Amino acid sequence: MTRPVYVLGAGAHPWGKWPNKSQLQLALDAMTAALQDASLSWPDLQGLVAASSRFEGGMGWGLHANEIVQAVAEQGMACVNVGGACAAGAIAFQAAYAMIASGQYDVVCAIGAERMPKGFIPRPPGSQDDITDSDYLRWVAMGATNPAYWAIEAKRRMHEFGTSDATLAKATVLMRRNATGNRNARFRSETSVDAVLASPMVSDPLHLLEICAVSDGAAAVILGSEKYARRAGKALVEVAGCAAATGQFGDPARRIPTVSSTVRSGVTHTSEVATAVARACTMAGIGPEDIDVLEMADNSAWHILAWPEQFGFYEPGKGDWMLENGKLDIDGDLAINPSGGFLSFGEATTAQAVLQICELTWQLRGQAEGHQVPRARIGMSAVLGLGANGGSVILKA
Amino acid sequence: MSGTHAALIAVAEGLFEVLPEGPRLIGTRCASCDTIYFPAALSCRNPHCAEKRIESTLLPDRGILLSYTIQRYQPPPLFRMDNWQPYAIGLIDLGAGVEVMGMLTGLPLDTIEIGLALKLVVETLYTDAERGAVTTYKFAPLAAGNMA
Repeated sequence: MTRPVYVLGAGAHPWGKWPNKSQLQLALDAMTAALQDASLSWPDLQGLVAASSRFEGGMGWGLHANEIVQAVAEQGMACVNVGGACAAGAIAFQAAYAMIASGQYDVVCAIGAERMPKGFIPRPPGSQDDITDSDYLRWVAMGATNPAYWAIEAKRRMHEFGTSDATLAKATVLMRRNATGNRNARFRSETSVDAVLASPMVSDPLHLLEICAVSDGAAAVILGSEKYARRAGKALVEVAGCAAATGQFGDPARRIPTVSSTVRSGVTHTSEVATAVARACTMAGIGPEDIDVLEMADNSAWHILAWPEQFGFYEPGKGDWMLENGKLDIDGDLAINPSGGFLSFGEATTAQAVLQICELTWQLRGQAEGHQVPRARIGMSAVLGLGANGGSVILKA
Repeated sequence: MSGTHAALIAVAEGLFEVLPEGPRLIGTRCASCDTIYFPAALSCRNPHCAEKRIESTLLPDRGILLSYTIQRYQPPPLFRMDNWQPYAIGLIDLGAGVEVMGMLTGLPLDTIEIGLALKLVVETLYTDAERGAVTTYKFAPLAAGNMA
């Protein structure tokens, strides 16, 4: 038996490049904001789960939660550090959720904080320099950058569905328009199809403005039992669904950093995320048609078109029409990334999935100043991480 | 002939083999469920395959271009290439359920088309002061390959 879990507070440090702030400081700023939002203070917190497959600094390679409590609150709380690459924030949330749902803890925080290196994300240290590590192989054998994988998917989509350069560009235009009202976003100016197509080509057909940059940022979500949620006195936001998943055998996705796929017919593309989404829906007892707002990982413009199709929101190929006809706008049938998404934030890997959940919380409370989805009652997040990690969370007002 | 082939240094050992009739990618075949993996795999990943009887195998050396991209920016330094310039990476359906990524060669960048018939080749990627010429596998147009 599990018990219901609620979001007590959400906080974020705005995304950007913050050369003068340490990763720990970004984390503390997000924590402080989340604690304030929950009307709690450090002694109330019984556990801290950190999404910690980090790019910069820290204690060892990822003891992030420990570093945070040793800096500001030595009080014996449980620290859990979870990996999961770019999906780590969702896995951390899943762990924090389970700690409370099990009845073992009442108040637990999930956090992600990241300072990213410049440029293409390089290979992390520690693996063998041979064919057993595909992240070695993809670099030495062909130099396949992350955008190359998304570009190969986008090019295939253009071939199969006739997706145009202009439609891909419109995905960026929508994300940037959404971000104009969001003070946490890094790129907050509107752009146009012409400007997107005039930006440098990185990996055909994807231009610079159609792939996500890398950013520094931090986000924290505090979860609690019903008793604490009622005490906080805010509008209740319940965790209706929450799931982590990994890939299925035969998945046709060009999975970073592999150099080949063993493909079987009938297997869902990006199955790690599709499975997480399906599990979260089952847990919440709802279907994709019930979702008012979707915060999903748009590492490229292609993702905005393809992902909702892959997860059963509508049939393959319809994404172009949905986008072109305003159905994915903030006031459309399915608002996608009212925050502005990765395309407007730049990715701060482990922090990104936590930020998605912060955003859903603000949307469901009606606090998404400048980018509020009208009458948002059910929100979903979806994220993908290296190592075939998928995560999805459904929040309900 | 064989002496020349033996002298070839690959970007990574165990990736491909150069036979007198041409290069082949080295993969793993699960004899129990007839599944092929590239590069060589530790085990069979099919969850319904209990036996997982794996063996080394050579992949088909011809395929069809499923998709591609052109890398306009130089990748991080782990990738080395003499006289760097934008180049294409393709996704090639080798049949047998395996789709492999690799650099494309012998094709002007503006002539690449999904559906092209390609064959595997091995070319020098860069010359290292100590190791000499270091090669990688690429895919070239089938027609050009036949003429060579």
